[in-house]
Amino acid sequence: MTLLLDIISTAAILFIVAAGLLAIFGVLKIINFAHGAWLTVGAYCAVVTTELGLNPWFALPLAFILGALLGGLTERFIVRPLYRRPLDAILATWGLGIVIGQLITLWFGRDVHFTTALMQGTVDVLGTSYSFYRLFAVLAALAIGLGFAFLLDGTRLGLSAQAVIMNEALARALGIDTEKVRLATFMAGAGLAALAGVLLAPMTSVDPNMGVPWLTGAFMLVMVAGTSFGALAVACLLFGAAQVVVSTFLSPILGGITVAVLCAITLRIRPKWFARA
Amino acid sequence: MRDSQKLRLFLLVGLAVVALLLVVFGPAVLGRFSLNVLTRSMIYAMLALTVDLLWGYTGILTFGQAAFFGVGAYATAMVLMHIGASPSLLLLAFVAAIIVPVVLGLIVGWLSFYHGSTPLYATVISLVVPIVMTQIVFSGGVWTGSSSGLVGYDVLPLGLTGFFRLTGFCLLVLAVLAIVFVRSDAGRLLVAIRDNEARVAYLGINPARVKILLTATLAGVAGLAGFLYANASGVVAPENTGFVFGTEIVVWTALGGRGTIIGPVLGAIGIDYLSASLSGDLPFLWQLVIGGLFVVMIIVLPGGLASLVTRHFPRGKGQQSLKAMPTTADANGTDRREDVFVSIENLGKSYGSLAVLKGINLDIRPGELVSIVGPNGAGKTTMMRCLSDGTEPIEGTVTINGHNIAGLAPEGVVSLGVGRKFQVASIFDTMTVAECLRMARLRHVTPSFTRSETEIALPGPAAEILQLTGIAEIMDRPVSLLSHGQRQALELAMVVALEPKLILLDEPTAGLTKAERTTIGTVLKTLTAKLGFAAILVEHDLDFVRDISSRIVVLHHGKLVLDGTVEDVIHSEIVRTIYSGGAHV
Repeated sequence: MTLLLDIISTAAILFIVAAGLLAIFGVLKIINFAHGAWLTVGAYCAVVTTELGLNPWFALPLAFILGALLGGLTERFIVRPLYRRPLDAILATWGLGIVIGQLITLWFGRDVHFTTALMQGTVDVLGTSYSFYRLFAVLAALAIGLGFAFLLDGTRLGLSAQAVIMNEALARALGIDTEKVRLATFMAGAGLAALAGVLLAPMTSVDPNMGVPWLTGAFMLVMVAGTSFGALAVACLLFGAAQVVVSTFLSPILGGITVAVLCAITLRIRPKWFARA
Repeated sequence: MRDSQKLRLFLLVGLAVVALLLVVFGPAVLGRFSLNVLTRSMIYAMLALTVDLLWGYTGILTFGQAAFFGVGAYATAMVLMHIGASPSLLLLAFVAAIIVPVVLGLIVGWLSFYHGSTPLYATVISLVVPIVMTQIVFSGGVWTGSSSGLVGYDVLPLGLTGFFRLTGFCLLVLAVLAIVFVRSDAGRLLVAIRDNEARVAYLGINPARVKILLTATLAGVAGLAGFLYANASGVVAPENTGFVFGTEIVVWTALGGRGTIIGPVLGAIGIDYLSASLSGDLPFLWQLVIGGLFVVMIIVLPGGLASLVTRHFPRGKGQQSLKAMPTTADANGTDRREDVFVSIENLGKSYGSLAVLKGINLDIRPGELVSIVGPNGAGKTTMMRCLSDGTEPIEGTVTINGHNIAGLAPEGVVSLGVGRKFQVASIFDTMTVAECLRMARLRHVTPSFTRSETEIALPGPAAEILQLTGIAEIMDRPVSLLSHGQRQALELAMVVALEPKLILLDEPTAGLTKAERTTIGTVLKTLTAKLGFAAILVEHDLDFVRDISSRIVVLHHGKLVLDGTVEDVIHSEIVRTIYSGGAHV
């Protein structure tokens, strides 16, 4: 039972982290390597609210707004000139990640920080007591997934975004302001990354380089999932399950690379498997 | 031209001599700290060189060189630590430090490159490899020293100055080899792959194989750097093999100047040396500056610092001269004209539920010029694709020269004697005319790895196309400066230079002037009627088709509705209805 709950909550956490990256990749066709840095920014928002003694929930909106603002600036000044050079965009956003990481280090130092949990205690699930917070993460993942589904299908912006995903040239010809769609998507993606950082903070320790391992994992998942949130959810569940199983029964160190290795193999053998899901 | 080339050569030799003097006499003037750091920096510069060859020249963005470096370093340290450090074991360590990364490189290359793989996928793999390697090191227990690494093994008895000179010498040799290679005819193939991988495949060269070989070779070089590092520093740590280190190498390469050899070398040495000197005083600020500089550089100066210098030295190419090889009249053999060269049986092709081609049957013999006509969307270009790429899923069979092409990648189909000219001229945009033509000859002429030839011998018909269109006069011109018509003619010449037996042409005259059309028409007629080539032509211009074809095939809604002589088709009622827009046959 614990194993099952572990699998579900691990998948949920992977989904939360990867969602922002997927949104940006789907619309902009660009891999945002600053994703890890924004995650870190979000986690430090949680640190700041803790240090100021504010209500820890306050970190959520703070992180989203800060992430979206930074994302907006990044889109305008770094990503926009590089739309035609996707590999260079990876590098430039990675460079930005270095800059943000060093700024955080200059401000907060290299030390590891801890934050107060948003909620504590355990809860009984069918006879197994389980961390309440990890279950909350599952709810958060569901909320994010459903939120995106609603945004894409229920709003004008989402419809435009879908049009851009499918055929950008045509969308532009039909009078959709694709630049605005890109900007909005990038801001949402960055905000989401920061939000993920806040949610992650109580589960791990917070340090200036905490984003890097999450970035690589999320990147692999997004590559496998393509541009669909449904596929991402499936991929997170499958590979998350594999990770938990390997960590539990073999070794936690091998568990850490399970997602990356499985994703690489999946891409080599059946690149389109998940995209169809 | 000649003078600028001499000047470049002179500058390069001068630079090499200066570098040699620095390596030999450096220890006399440099302090302990500088020697130590510079030895490390020069090892890193070797890595930057390998990243540059992969990324700057061939277009493969890789973070994986760190893994090969780490594997080489760990192989060395593990032999020396756990087995011993006698001279023969040092030799064993040296061999292992190169062989193991090469084998790993072959595996990584096989994973990364295959027909239809994307550049992003190769980058993904290059990201996974160092991550996996680091975790393996972490879980290696006593064998790898886990997170603390390996330290305290015996190394080559060279001392500080000895290691400085050894690494300096290795770097210098490597840089000279790299410079000679990238300027050679074989080295230009890397740039061709970066510019236009599809065209490389359709010239009959397997780009995936070239990339795999390159990856394996450069993995070996990275392993050598790892061997030097493990000896010179006396310690190996998990960070040496990690993904973050892999990105650092890319940063040095980018700042120094990708696509040049000297840029990344100086970039790596300069940044690493400055990092070591400055990091004591302002560690995080320095990283911040490097990161910021990197972002700005990628956006506004993608060529790196070296492009500030190279833009004052335009690529001085020697005068290239064209030589026509003697044509053996009717090289393809008149006696075999009755043999069917291409046989298409019941060919069908669908995209999802949309059937683009249905039940096509067609035989083509040497010496025939078959034109495929039909309105837009009739499936003409799709048919060309099915004939030239056996990996396209189709129904029915396509047999070329007696071989079923199912499953053959474009380069395999080319080796059966098929040349394909695309609708939009597909050539190598950063090369000169002569370089493009040389790439087209690589299948027949083994290129030199050390020299760039000044004469280029082409089969007679290819040379004739160049002469008729005046391109023969401008062999040294970059193709980016060619007109639309010249680009089309150049691609046709490249395809003919492959010495194919069948040429596929997709609207070769679109956008050409009347005069250019006539020239191309004449050339095609000579190729087929006189020299025995077979040709399939997709064309909209019915007048042109009437003038040159020996046979016309009409496609409509994916079906073959008419197959006959020019006379048959021109006077056919069906064709008139189709083109006036009515018929649903």
